[in-house]
Amino acid sequence: MLSSQRDHDDPIVRGNAARATRRKLLSAAALGVLAIGAKPARAAPDGELRIGAHVSLAPTWFDPAETSGIITPFMMLYAMHDAMMKAMPGNPMAPCLAESWTMAPDGLSYAFTLRKGVRFHNGEVLTAEDVKFSLERYRGASSKALKERVAGVDIHDPHQLTIRLNQPWPDFLTFYASATGAGWIVPKKYVQQIGEDGFKKAPIGAGPYKFVSFTPGVELVCEAFEGYWRKAPAIKRLVFKVVPDEATRLAALQRGELDIAYSIRGELADELVRTPGLTIKPALGSAPFWLYFPEQWDPQSPWHDRRVRLATNLALDLKTINQALTLGYSRLTGSVFPENFEFYWQPPAPVYDPARARKLLAEAGHVRGFDAGDYYCDTSYANIGEVVLNNLREVGIRVKLRPLERAAFFKAYSEKKLKNIVQGASGAFGNCATRAEAFVAKGGTYAYGSYPDIDALFAEQAVQMDRAKREVILHRLQQLVHDKTIFAPIWQLAFISGVGPRVGQSGFGLIKGFVYTAPYEELTLKGKA
Amino acid sequence: MTVTTHPVVATAPTPPTAFWRLQGFPLIPALILLFIAFVAVFADVLAPYDPQIGSLARRFRPPAWQEGGSLAHLLGTDHVGRDVLSRLIFGARVSMIVGITAVLVAGGIGTLLGIVSGYLGGWADQVIMRLTDTWLALPALTFAIFLAAIVGPSELNIILILGLVYWTRYARVIRGEVLSLKQREFVRLAIVAGCSKRVIMWRHILPNVINSAVVLATLMLGVVIVTEASLSFLGVGVPPPKPAWGLMMADGKKGLMVGYWWLTVLPGICIMLMVLSANLLGDWLRVKLDPQLRQL
Amino acid sequence: MRQYILRRVGYSLVSLFLLSLVIFLFVRVTGDPVSLLVEPGASPEDIENMRRQFGLDRPLWVQYWHFMASLATGDLGLSFYYRTPVLELYFQRLPNSLLLAAVAMGLSLLIGIPSGILAAVRVGGFWDSAGKIFALLGLSLPSFWVGLVLILFFSVYLGWLPSSGSGTTLHLLMPAFTLGWYFAAAHMRLTRSSMLEVLGSEYIKLARLKGLPEALVIGKHAFKNALIPVITLAGINLVVMINVAVVVETVFAWPGIGRLLYEGITFRDFPIVQGVVIIGGGMIVLVNLLVDIFYALIDPRIRLES
Repeated sequence: MLSSQRDHDDPIVRGNAARATRRKLLSAAALGVLAIGAKPARAAPDGELRIGAHVSLAPTWFDPAETSGIITPFMMLYAMHDAMMKAMPGNPMAPCLAESWTMAPDGLSYAFTLRKGVRFHNGEVLTAEDVKFSLERYRGASSKALKERVAGVDIHDPHQLTIRLNQPWPDFLTFYASATGAGWIVPKKYVQQIGEDGFKKAPIGAGPYKFVSFTPGVELVCEAFEGYWRKAPAIKRLVFKVVPDEATRLAALQRGELDIAYSIRGELADELVRTPGLTIKPALGSAPFWLYFPEQWDPQSPWHDRRVRLATNLALDLKTINQALTLGYSRLTGSVFPENFEFYWQPPAPVYDPARARKLLAEAGHVRGFDAGDYYCDTSYANIGEVVLNNLREVGIRVKLRPLERAAFFKAYSEKKLKNIVQGASGAFGNCATRAEAFVAKGGTYAYGSYPDIDALFAEQAVQMDRAKREVILHRLQQLVHDKTIFAPIWQLAFISGVGPRVGQSGFGLIKGFVYTAPYEELTLKGKA
Repeated sequence: MTVTTHPVVATAPTPPTAFWRLQGFPLIPALILLFIAFVAVFADVLAPYDPQIGSLARRFRPPAWQEGGSLAHLLGTDHVGRDVLSRLIFGARVSMIVGITAVLVAGGIGTLLGIVSGYLGGWADQVIMRLTDTWLALPALTFAIFLAAIVGPSELNIILILGLVYWTRYARVIRGEVLSLKQREFVRLAIVAGCSKRVIMWRHILPNVINSAVVLATLMLGVVIVTEASLSFLGVGVPPPKPAWGLMMADGKKGLMVGYWWLTVLPGICIMLMVLSANLLGDWLRVKLDPQLRQL
Repeated sequence: MRQYILRRVGYSLVSLFLLSLVIFLFVRVTGDPVSLLVEPGASPEDIENMRRQFGLDRPLWVQYWHFMASLATGDLGLSFYYRTPVLELYFQRLPNSLLLAAVAMGLSLLIGIPSGILAAVRVGGFWDSAGKIFALLGLSLPSFWVGLVLILFFSVYLGWLPSSGSGTTLHLLMPAFTLGWYFAAAHMRLTRSSMLEVLGSEYIKLARLKGLPEALVIGKHAFKNALIPVITLAGINLVVMINVAVVVETVFAWPGIGRLLYEGITFRDFPIVQGVVIIGGGMIVLVNLLVDIFYALIDPRIRLES
């Protein structure tokens, strides 16, 4: 193999163990110590699971402090690290490193009790110091919001701590546990000793898999950490291979070079279903797609007329599109807010009614339809645009598809340079309020205009401390978004992956709203313990 | 095509009869190109369906002779249910337009700069040649992706992009030719006769480098068309739903794994025939018109 | 002569400087890396924070100055995406690229030279056409398509070769062939024309007159002389290959420079794009410089001309 970094710190070991690093030997020694006190668990981890990733893995993803607000890093975090609480099967906020927690009656502090006997991969015991350190070190998405509101961390003993807030903050746990990486714990001593850059090269955590080696753009190798507190993983090695081309990924899965292939779309998914031995694993993330009408605030534009926007909604044959592009696995929520978000309001189901769409257009003065200009979208989702285009043309809305390469698309979208129709999407973390802030409310990064009543509601909810009352306001806000037909929602996209014949438990769909396989300690290979 | 009517011309480097000496003329490639051109011109009449409209209900129909195919769609339908035959027919037009105009753009810029650079020399030569070197040092595809990101993909922009990427080849070759033409008797005579620089460049130099430009053009046609397809593969080519062969191949490549071979094999054959024909014709022209252009 | 070389080196430096400016500006006007590293809808603070971290909040000329200053010390900066020094990433991938390019070049010459010789010896005959068409086919088919067909046939259908990745000789075959075939036509053409030229020379005529067997004339005398320009071109193309293998590397998940650059572009990872383009451009400029100097050495007229 080509990796030089893999072996360079290993002057002693050769041959089969050539990939072992000094650090690994250390942790193995520590494991030996640990094993004495451990329960006589099941058979030792065995076998290798190869996962084909659709994106190039970045070392920042190995460090919870760098969580940037996209979902992909969690693919790695679930393997190498563990959090105070995190989404687990059946529980979006399951106690993990924190055994329990309580909120003070005044809402100004949260007391946590840590699980005892949890160790990092290097054998060090995880304590309250590490928790405090990880929170303070966190610098990723929403770190400013988090730090402004957290007044301090008090450590009572190695397993007891309290996080104090400046003001009551109902969303604190949401932010701490799921919207940021602040609740994912890294070893203080190790990080300080090896330095920030060193940590990205040789991360150590408290998760079920230890980091072994990483070759940028090629692969990441992890090995089971038998001392993982929840249980020892069943599979010995995890290999994440980067395979950028979708068709190649499927071919590799068919050949058994991969056991899991992420993101297999369209007709390739058909093939996945058809190939004996392979299983299709759809997972619903939190990325809704929609059409946006940026000119609806311009009285000169045809899109100013709500009937035209409604006609666009009615023209979309979403069921057929869903069936054709994602085998029916996407969810037609009719909303631009993700259904798994806090404060979500479920609008009426979308309707396909081209006859009524044509009638509405005629009423709006477009008896023979009209030339609606351009339809902008991100190139990677031009396939949705192509079929939507057909639908729109059937009712007389003639648009030209203008797919822009991703970077250029988001630049133009946020700089408010797009016109006519924009096909947008977002998988950002947060809740319905944060989504509204970016896409609906006045001044939002992707809002080309706004409505006063919606702005008023948005301002009102931002200062409302009572969760129930806030929910009522946010529901009303979403209802207005629906009534005004600001958007034509498409779907909440299903992320489709393929699983090969060697895999027993693939881990897909165990955690609601998470599109990758997890938790890794649950994964099994067939014929192995 | 090859000689100038201007009286001061002494001898053109190749006699005018060379072009018509048909020995070894690649007849089949020429016929293929003519056929593609014919289809491109009469696409509206020939195509049975609108190439941009389809219905998801009819997607992935195989060609007529295969099981499940029907005479309604002789060559089957694609992932949006559009008729593949119609798309191929209109694709001929897109490919012809994109290929030929991009080559013209590249040839226009390159020839002009090559002549100016070669004839004027001095600082103009310096500026143009340093620009050419810089351009050549940029990987063509990278450059194309960036340009596509700046101007946004559209048929016209793809033409401009390909033209802007490939003009350097012309500039270098033409400059070399001009340098040797400059030493020739008829140019010197023109200078003595008091012709202005512009007149010399336009009426004496240009007609004599046209040969090379034409040869280069036939060879570049293939490069341009294949690059266009590669751009589609990387997602920055001619935007869908335009029926371009390169785009059809890139879109259809997923289907290849599933057994929908017609989606990518058919446009692939079209591209192959066109590029191969252009190259064979180009090779022949090169030998006939300008044996010196061997390094192309 | 020394003056000529100095001038050529000067030109090359000017070209490289222009290249740095062009790529620096290009990469910046075409997209925002921050918007790609966060989801659309991320908070403005986070975006601002990241921008500061990458140094994108500073004025353009300051950024350019920094870039050039560190370039002068051989530092290409830290990749936004990988947070790793660009140079380290580059050298991690360079061996792969070199390997792929070398094998591809070998295959390309293996196709190009024999078909070129055949075409030259049998002008207008069947072998002329057959060789020409086979070599030209590589130029006529987009490499992503050739690659996919190869994967389908050799990996999925026959099961002989691994579909993608790197590590063994088997991994290398398909990408190298795909890349090499594309370049074969150029080598075929040059072999053919320079063979024709040599075959028409006095020297070969003399050899024939001497009654040497035709195979020996072609195989030894003509071929040896015709080979020089082909080898020169192959040398230049080797450098070009490293830089143009984007599509092949993407299809076969081959971890080379081309894909590093492509990733850099898609993520608008400014340091990667700048670094790869500058190094690649530097290589091309250097090769051109060497070729120029070489030709000037053997042909003094060139020196005088410019």
